[in-house]
Amino acid sequence: MKKGDRLAIVVPDPDEFVLSFLGAVMGGIVPVPIYPQLSFKNVETYHETVTHIANASGASMLLTTQVTKPYVEPVLPRAEALKSIVTVDELGLEDHGKIDVAIDPGDLAFLQFTSGSTSRPKGVTVTHNNLAWNSESFMIHGLEKDSSFDKGVSWLPLFHDMGLIGFVIGPLFTNIPVVFMPTASFVRNPRIWLDKIHQHRGTITYAPNFAYALVTKRVKEKDLGDLDLSCLRRAGCGAEPIQAKTLHEFAEKLRPAKFDARAFLPSYGMAEATLAITFVPAFSGVRSDTVDKAGLEQAAATPAAAGEGAATLVNCGHAFPEHEIAVVDESGRRLADRQVGQIVTRGPSISKGYYLEPELTADSFKPLAEADAGTWLYTGDLGYMLEGEVFICGRLKDMIIVRGRNFYPSDIEWVVSEMPGVRRGNVVAFSAEIDGEEQLVVTAEGMSSEAEALKAAVAQRIVADFALAPHEVVIVPQGTLPRTSSGKPQRRKTRQMYLDGTLARARSVQGTPEQTEDAGVTA
Amino acid sequence: MMQVVRGCMERAELLAVFARTAAEVAEKEFANVLESTSISELGIDSLGMLEIIGSLERELKIQIPDESLAGILTVKDLLNAVESRQSV
Repeated sequence: MKKGDRLAIVVPDPDEFVLSFLGAVMGGIVPVPIYPQLSFKNVETYHETVTHIANASGASMLLTTQVTKPYVEPVLPRAEALKSIVTVDELGLEDHGKIDVAIDPGDLAFLQFTSGSTSRPKGVTVTHNNLAWNSESFMIHGLEKDSSFDKGVSWLPLFHDMGLIGFVIGPLFTNIPVVFMPTASFVRNPRIWLDKIHQHRGTITYAPNFAYALVTKRVKEKDLGDLDLSCLRRAGCGAEPIQAKTLHEFAEKLRPAKFDARAFLPSYGMAEATLAITFVPAFSGVRSDTVDKAGLEQAAATPAAAGEGAATLVNCGHAFPEHEIAVVDESGRRLADRQVGQIVTRGPSISKGYYLEPELTADSFKPLAEADAGTWLYTGDLGYMLEGEVFICGRLKDMIIVRGRNFYPSDIEWVVSEMPGVRRGNVVAFSAEIDGEEQLVVTAEGMSSEAEALKAAVAQRIVADFALAPHEVVIVPQGTLPRTSSGKPQRRKTRQMYLDGTLARARSVQGTPEQTEDAGVTA
Repeated sequence: MMQVVRGCMERAELLAVFARTAAEVAEKEFANVLESTSISELGIDSLGMLEIIGSLERELKIQIPDESLAGILTVKDLLNAVESRQSV
């Protein structure tokens, strides 16, 4: 392989992964990290995703391990550019000689494919320059690292930006040691995360909202024992919507272990920005803003008293030096404080676009509607600014983010729509905050007589295809999902009706009059 | 609390422990869990399954290595993995 060639990497083991990744980068080869096969998940969906990534990146070689090889081998005949699958052991047998490659800061360092969904993930180009700028931004300006004593502790997956850039590349740039543990170990026993922070006197850690909730749920007060987390000065939170309640409950639970809630560091970022876009000031903890819910729908974040009609949003902080963040309306004009619109950002950390996808790139990387012709990243997130700090309200495109993984509703809707017993095209998938955690809800129109069986079948299908368990599947009578004037089901309205409890529910109870196939068809 | 003696647990008992643990983690009851039931049929995702495995490991005082997780698709596969560790 030569400089600029792409190397797909499917290596679950953390140390082998890091060495493979860095080895490739040093040789000027562009690594393309791909997540390993999840257990219990539809194998076919996995092969499709890997094939897509191999094709979209034009990777000519796929690097894996002896154990993982059988799970990726079926991709070889399906991906055109892919010539070989090699294991790390095989690669180590040969002497590859001295590496002598000149690397320019503007060169591609690696491709990070957007995570989660079965919808064709896009390859975000990340240059050495992007990595250097973003690492400096979050390690020095964000975390205010101190190389004389800081130590990271992470269980985040390394094929994802937060684990790879946040805990491998950033700390390498700034000379911070990091203790890694496998993601699966944390999920099996969340207490391990706390134990490792305690044992290694960790000062910096990071996790999505769900992980803090999992600890609160699973760790028993009586087990806290001698746990001392007073060393932890940065507990970052990002990658999915942050709930103030989740973080408060975590702090409350771990108060006996001397956890300092000021260590919480809410932040905002995405793969297209290399990693981090905003951080709150170090040691400022969770600060939130309570606004009127009805006002939010009208694109205004009006302060309100906490209660029924109010939403509490977490302050995600400000942009880094040399970077900018703003909120714009649909025509790309900047909005004032407390006006809700699309979040845009620019600066030296921001990627130049998607690999070999000029149209997709032009959709998301473009100027604002003002004289300044600079390129901004249109994040697709909705939010508002307040004195230079950002609050995130949701996804413009109804992206479903559950436990740090992104799903496009259209993908889930399509799969369910094709199932027998479901009216084609009459499915709505959305996420809703349930007990402080984002959860997937799927609604589908179907025959009342089959409602119970259909509910179970839909849930099974979603788990099989997406490795995601829906919080609830609601079968509604034919023709009851709210629709647009062109007849498409409306996601936001459906979500609102679900939360209000006004969604009609089909029940397969004997003696109940059943909806007929053609009842209630709307325009 | 169920009394657990390493290596002596009957298969049916193991199935019951699994069903109870799964119900605790998923916070819902599972009716008719059979060995032939596939994990995805229960509506449990990969993270949920790892949580269940973690609970089983603590309760049965065993450790199931990561390598033996990849091929688990049904309840039977999981119980086999548990049983092989119990007899170690």
